[in-house]
Amino acid sequence: MHKFDTLKPVMVLCALAFFLLSGAAFAAAPETGALNVGVQLEPPNLDPTSGAAAAIDEIVYANVFEGLTRITEEGTAAPALAKSWTVLNDGLVYEFLLHQGIKFHDGTAFDADDVVFSLNRARAPTSSNAQRPLFEQIKTVEALTSHQVRITLHKPIGAFPVYLGWGDAVIVAPESVATNASMPVGTGPFRFQRWRKGASITLIRNENYWGDAPALDEINFVFIPDPTAAFAALFAGDVDGFPNYPAPENLALIERDPRFKILYGTSEGEMLVAINHGKAPFDNLLVRRALNHAIDKDVVIKAGLFGFGTPIGSHFPPHHPAYVDHSERYPYDPTLARKLLSEAGYPNGFSTVLTLPPPSYARRGGEIIAAQLEAVGIKVQIRNIEWAQWLDQVFKNKEYDLTIVSHTEPLDFDIYARDDYYFQYNNSDYNSLITQLQSESDETKRNSLLQEAQRILAEDAVNVFIASSPKTAIWTKTVSDVWANAPLQANDFTRTQNTGRIAVTTKDTTTAFPAFSILLLITCIAFGSVAYFGRARISFLASRFISMLMTLAAASIVIFLLIEIAPGDPAAFMMGLNADPASVSALKAELGLDRPALFRYFSWIGGLMTGDFGTSYTYRVPVSELIAERFWVSLPLAIIAFSLSTAIGIPAGLMAAARRRKPSGQIIVNAAQAGIAVPNFWLAILLVLIFAVTFRWFSAGGFPGWDVGLLPALKALLLPAIALAIPQAAILTQIMRTSMINTMHDDYVRTARAKGLNTNDALRTHALRNALIPVLTILGLQFAFLLAGSIIVENVFYLPGLGRLVFQSIAQRDLIVVKSIVMTLVFCVILVAIFVDLAYSIIDPRLRKVGTS
Amino acid sequence: MKRSFLRSEILPLFHGNRSLALGIALTSLFIMAALLSFVWTPYDVTALDVSTRLTAPSTTHWFGANHLGRDVLSMTMVGARISIAVAFIAVGLGGAIGVPLGLLAAAKGGLIDDIVMRFGDLVFAFPALILAILITAVFGPSATNAIIAIGIFNIPVFARLTRSAALPIWHKPFVQAAQCAGKNLTQISAQHIFPNIRHVLIVQGTVQFALAILAEAGLSYVGLGAQPPIPSWGRMLAESQTMISTAPWLVLFPGVAIFVFVLGLNLLGDGLRHHYDPRRQRGF
Repeated sequence: MHKFDTLKPVMVLCALAFFLLSGAAFAAAPETGALNVGVQLEPPNLDPTSGAAAAIDEIVYANVFEGLTRITEEGTAAPALAKSWTVLNDGLVYEFLLHQGIKFHDGTAFDADDVVFSLNRARAPTSSNAQRPLFEQIKTVEALTSHQVRITLHKPIGAFPVYLGWGDAVIVAPESVATNASMPVGTGPFRFQRWRKGASITLIRNENYWGDAPALDEINFVFIPDPTAAFAALFAGDVDGFPNYPAPENLALIERDPRFKILYGTSEGEMLVAINHGKAPFDNLLVRRALNHAIDKDVVIKAGLFGFGTPIGSHFPPHHPAYVDHSERYPYDPTLARKLLSEAGYPNGFSTVLTLPPPSYARRGGEIIAAQLEAVGIKVQIRNIEWAQWLDQVFKNKEYDLTIVSHTEPLDFDIYARDDYYFQYNNSDYNSLITQLQSESDETKRNSLLQEAQRILAEDAVNVFIASSPKTAIWTKTVSDVWANAPLQANDFTRTQNTGRIAVTTKDTTTAFPAFSILLLITCIAFGSVAYFGRARISFLASRFISMLMTLAAASIVIFLLIEIAPGDPAAFMMGLNADPASVSALKAELGLDRPALFRYFSWIGGLMTGDFGTSYTYRVPVSELIAERFWVSLPLAIIAFSLSTAIGIPAGLMAAARRRKPSGQIIVNAAQAGIAVPNFWLAILLVLIFAVTFRWFSAGGFPGWDVGLLPALKALLLPAIALAIPQAAILTQIMRTSMINTMHDDYVRTARAKGLNTNDALRTHALRNALIPVLTILGLQFAFLLAGSIIVENVFYLPGLGRLVFQSIAQRDLIVVKSIVMTLVFCVILVAIFVDLAYSIIDPRLRKVGTS
Repeated sequence: MKRSFLRSEILPLFHGNRSLALGIALTSLFIMAALLSFVWTPYDVTALDVSTRLTAPSTTHWFGANHLGRDVLSMTMVGARISIAVAFIAVGLGGAIGVPLGLLAAAKGGLIDDIVMRFGDLVFAFPALILAILITAVFGPSATNAIIAIGIFNIPVFARLTRSAALPIWHKPFVQAAQCAGKNLTQISAQHIFPNIRHVLIVQGTVQFALAILAEAGLSYVGLGAQPPIPSWGRMLAESQTMISTAPWLVLFPGVAIFVFVLGLNLLGDGLRHHYDPRRQRGF
């Protein structure tokens, strides 16, 4: 009877655990059709014909917008909207035959007039096209019929069909051109669907596409600028890959992981330190050469790019046949650099500002370059800015001294001949060379001109040319048909397939998760069973229940006040500092923030009870669904860790108590002392180092999902559970030992011994039960701690649990999600505390306040 | 012959109390290192030296160098500063608010006692880390907000401990005598109750200090603690984690620093508890 009583709370807990775990069985069906792509930069707008940022092309080129021609992976021009073309008059006239029956995404028809409109718009004097000088070579554009266009040039252009394949030359419709920046309308296989500022852009399949239908239903471009976050997103399965992976330091680890494939390709990117020739002292050739001598390219490549780069000495990619290696034109020589600076009139150097955009090559390379310039006496102040600021201040307004950037456009050497380019470089020899080049179509002559161009740029030390970096793409193995090479900075996903992800738009999102109602129901059942089996008084139970509800109410008020009132306007906070007022007020209305606080509070609480937690700002799925999905990672993790910790801690504590005067007992005590002091996330990192990096028994992180089977999922949770369990087991050991030792001195144990029971029997039958009472409190606290404390360890292993969700939500300012996760965890903690209380009343009849029974 | 002060006063403290000796030794090692870092570190912690990047521990760089060639030993020394500062202020804050609250609850009882205790329940309903995350999510990550977050959690810890330690003392004859002498509640709390529970508070303070060091490390590991360029142990671990396969020593030393420091503080706490233990003092 007594023994059965002791087991009751355990049974209740087990039943609860089983109930919660069984939910994992309702896993999702096999998934297909969507691709989550990690990109480093968020574009400033989405109109490739009026912006310079490569980030625009990375999203819309070939996917949303199409040109007359398209660039293939090999860098050649292939037919696109133009079925075919003929070259007349020695390259002065091009006639394009267009496909018929094509419609833009908004339903308007595509015809020759759209081509005329687009090209005339690009070459107009008021055009904001980044390649306007190129389009200015066009003399006339005429529509011969509705599907025939004739383009006449001022003089022949060597690779004109290739230029027409660039993102800057895509065809737009006059009806939608005004809104293309925020809502692009093209003819491509994917339609623009949604832009979550600061988070992601979603494209969905264009059902009426004129060409071969794409394989994907949906593409989500997720903006991840930070290399560490990129690694985490990849391992956690948040993204299916990166066309340009920003963290070369992880490649060794990724290479070993069977889930991923790495594609090394050539790119047209030249990483350089851009110099503002319009500003003293950089107008001085000696100063520019000094900068070139002061910077050690090898070191920048080694430390800034982790070895992934080829040193260059001019603005030209090494894989091109006309390439000449000028990388040794200015060898690293600080003494010579100082000498040149003195000759230029700066014997003591000067002060300058190095402006850095967000990509890791710029930030990391910038730190090193700043240190190298300091070494020759140039005082460098580093200024880190966002990409939009960079485009505005540096590229447009030329307000900078030095900056680091990678120029990714193919064969873009003509930028040095432009009057108004941000380098402000001006050399008439070079300009005439480029003019010559643009009308030259003979391959050998072109190449020798290109070589001369490279030489001039190197001799003039226009910029500090650092490296040509390879394009390193990483994809999960479920992704196929993606570009390896980057002839232009774009991601053509027209043919790409992914068998590893389901499209959110097609996913059934109606399943509500009435978590709190379920949890409350469980509580009621538990109370009822305790009332029945435990013979506890109803008034005692009722008072406990009421105090639980009061604590919950107080906690919800605290969370609500902190999040919704303290930081000012949550909508502005979510949208970021640069948001425009109109979109902030739109979001406000969407979130219902224009209503009174009291109303918002009660609608939140009401929503919690019914399972409607609101809709996540960044993920655009119901918060309840997000939490439910992550809960099935965090909760099993906490349960495994809890079981491990209990299985280690209680026997160890008992043993330490029984052998407290022996060396073995002392060893346990010392081990426990050490265990308490270990930070669990560090232990987690060490476990990764030992079992994932060294022995390769486990993967370094990530979670395959429950639907791949119980064993792989449990395997992914084992290392995190051990890391969580060990410090908790150490605490439990100490408490169990102390409690047991105290009980052993009690009179009734001594009496039992005096009656003739041996030590072990006396301890087991009399002391253990009493000694367990304080331990139970700790167990309750520990479970709550594990549930919440797992959030840091989840980060170490990139587990897609509640912890990662909460940190991502914080980073993306998705406070709706933060609020509900915190409330869920608080609820769990309170619930566990109640269960412990109830368990007490079963174990210890004195606490039941039964009075006379 | 007259024995030196050291031998007559200090050494007996450690007699049979190895925890105290070891705890003091380890704790002062870190405090000294942190203090020393204000005037001297082996290398400049902000300077870059690419020639030494990712060097393994050697005679020139005892703890190795990171991906920017920065000396890990120097960074660990400077990192001790922020750890100690955050933990010390947070625990101090918790004590400064929690102890008076606990004394008040013990002295007044009734409604005030209830309010203080329910406040404790409320704070404890938030797992410490969650509370810290909530605060930094709302107010932005910084060392100050880490201090506030850890500090808030310490308030009810001290309040409850103070209350439970103070309650039995209120029933002692000397307190009743003081009441008869006309002293008010504040005077009694300050002059009679507090001095008698000081030991308990010091022991708990040490334990809380150790917990605060762990909490600070955790917060800065997830990027919610002190922000760059201030070196902190947690962030050093986070930064080196992606280089674990090429430079495993980078994840070793900041972790060892946290571990040894927390171990030292726990030993110090054990030693102090043992030292103040009335059962032990009776033996003398």
